[in-house]
Amino acid sequence: MKNRTLIYSVVLLLGIFLFSCKEEGKYHSISDKIEGESKPYHGILTSEELLADTELIEITEGEHTFLIPERKGQIKSFACIECHSKPVSQMMGKDAPKAHWNIKLNHANSDAMNCATCHNGEEMNQLNTLTGKNIDFNLSYKLCAQCHSSQFEDWKGGAHGKKVAGWAPPRASNTCVNCHNPHSPSFEKRWPVQFNTKTAIERNEGLGH
Amino acid sequence: MSDNKKWFSLDLGLNNKKESSGSCGCGKSEGSCNSSPKEEELSADEFYEAAINASIGEERHRDGFEQVFDVKMDRRSAFKKLTASLLIGAGAVTTSCSVTTGSDTKEKAQIGWEEQFKGNYKLMTDEEKQGTINRLMRSYELRTDKKINMTAENAAEDVLFGYAFNISKCQGYMNCVSACVEENNQDRNSEMQYIRIHEMKDGEGFKFDKADDNYYHEVPAEGHFYMGTQCFHCDNPPCVEVCPVQATWKEEDGLVVIDYDWCVGCRYCMAACPYDGRRFNWSKPEVPENEVNKNQHYLGNRMRKKGVMEKCTFCVQRTRKGKNPACVEACPTGARIFGNLLDPNSTIRWVLENKKVFRLKEDLGTEPKFWYFMD
Repeated sequence: MKNRTLIYSVVLLLGIFLFSCKEEGKYHSISDKIEGESKPYHGILTSEELLADTELIEITEGEHTFLIPERKGQIKSFACIECHSKPVSQMMGKDAPKAHWNIKLNHANSDAMNCATCHNGEEMNQLNTLTGKNIDFNLSYKLCAQCHSSQFEDWKGGAHGKKVAGWAPPRASNTCVNCHNPHSPSFEKRWPVQFNTKTAIERNEGLGH
Repeated sequence: MSDNKKWFSLDLGLNNKKESSGSCGCGKSEGSCNSSPKEEELSADEFYEAAINASIGEERHRDGFEQVFDVKMDRRSAFKKLTASLLIGAGAVTTSCSVTTGSDTKEKAQIGWEEQFKGNYKLMTDEEKQGTINRLMRSYELRTDKKINMTAENAAEDVLFGYAFNISKCQGYMNCVSACVEENNQDRNSEMQYIRIHEMKDGEGFKFDKADDNYYHEVPAEGHFYMGTQCFHCDNPPCVEVCPVQATWKEEDGLVVIDYDWCVGCRYCMAACPYDGRRFNWSKPEVPENEVNKNQHYLGNRMRKKGVMEKCTFCVQRTRKGKNPACVEACPTGARIFGNLLDPNSTIRWVLENKKVFRLKEDLGTEPKFWYFMD
């Protein structure tokens, strides 16, 4: 009899021990919580409205499908063949009108790259890969990905590059040329936009004491 | 029995015998403590009655106005009290009933009254939340003749906000800082900023004491890297823990927020935060009228007052509508990534699962929802 009471109380204690701390802090860490409550978001919040004014195209790369801004409509002098009616080799010469004089290629060195690395001289409305395959201007990221493969991986996943609109689905990400000038892709040095004069004064005073 | 006691005990009439009211704390009613000789003995009940009569007396049998008005007092204090109450009454009457003051003033007084006695936002029903933001919008309109749009959206379901910061991408341009100030109506006089960008020396690691968070030279500077800190919206926030009035708490979507109208300004949270995430309004925050961001949230960028805490809210007024925080949108390098931690398809989740991420002072157990990573 005594034994049975003992067993009952042990079982009860064990039960309390197992279930008591479940509700209060259900998860031990934020990663447990993320794992435990993870589910694809189909809630009411969406970026549709924010994206309404942007011309977008959907791309699928590996397991990622998302939207990127349409490019051809943003290029001032597209379509190129309006001027480039003949292949570049035939248009070069003294009497041909000068164009693109302001473009200076500042991307890799001249051993690795020249205009023709990306542009198709025979068919100016298209870009071309290293092996000569045509690429649409809207999908120019495919050219960048030829060399910048790690950046391409990060961009597909969302670790590189900025999102268009908000956090809520659908996902729309800027493509390479939305942030980087393809002819001079690195970011330039500049002055910060902000300087806190009050903090500077406070710290100077602090040093004086 | 009680005669021999060496300690004082409060007698609530549980014992039958009771010493006279003349006894003192030493437990004896005679001798060393100079008390008067014993008066006639009172029974415990009688004593209880007498004690109450002596302290609150007739108030027990009266209620409401009688307690206040039917009181014996000398002429001087009577006049004093009369004057004081007349002044208060006159003030109330002029604002509420006077024909000379406009209806605006009356409305202002009404709003002021209701705002003064509202409860903690955390405990409000949705109608009460709507009520208070309507009052706040109306009050702003009465004061400035300009309309603002304030909302009180609750946390959306299945959303937990998280943030990732790419240390190799940040170039220290500080566009985030200025976007944050503009978005969140921070005080322009004290130049309050939620975000700090720390310029750190390459090869020295995170040394906040040696880093400069108020640099002004061309960036990125040679041999330096940049990292930003702000409120990390900890999952186990120490600031919430220490608040004596529960004016700050963690919402369902993970945002740590403040009810500016409930905060008493004790700054315990500021001391408790290991990340310098919180800011205090030492003076009345001022924003030029044309710079006020009029899309506001009760818990977010609405105008604060002197003596209350504030901090980054992950731009609750934007994020609860599906937008990105202002800093994320302003960042020219894409170093800032924001999203829903619960959604396995979100970019923030991809970062957490595929990049080598870490958090600041992780060993404190604060569980920040703000991760750093590198390319």
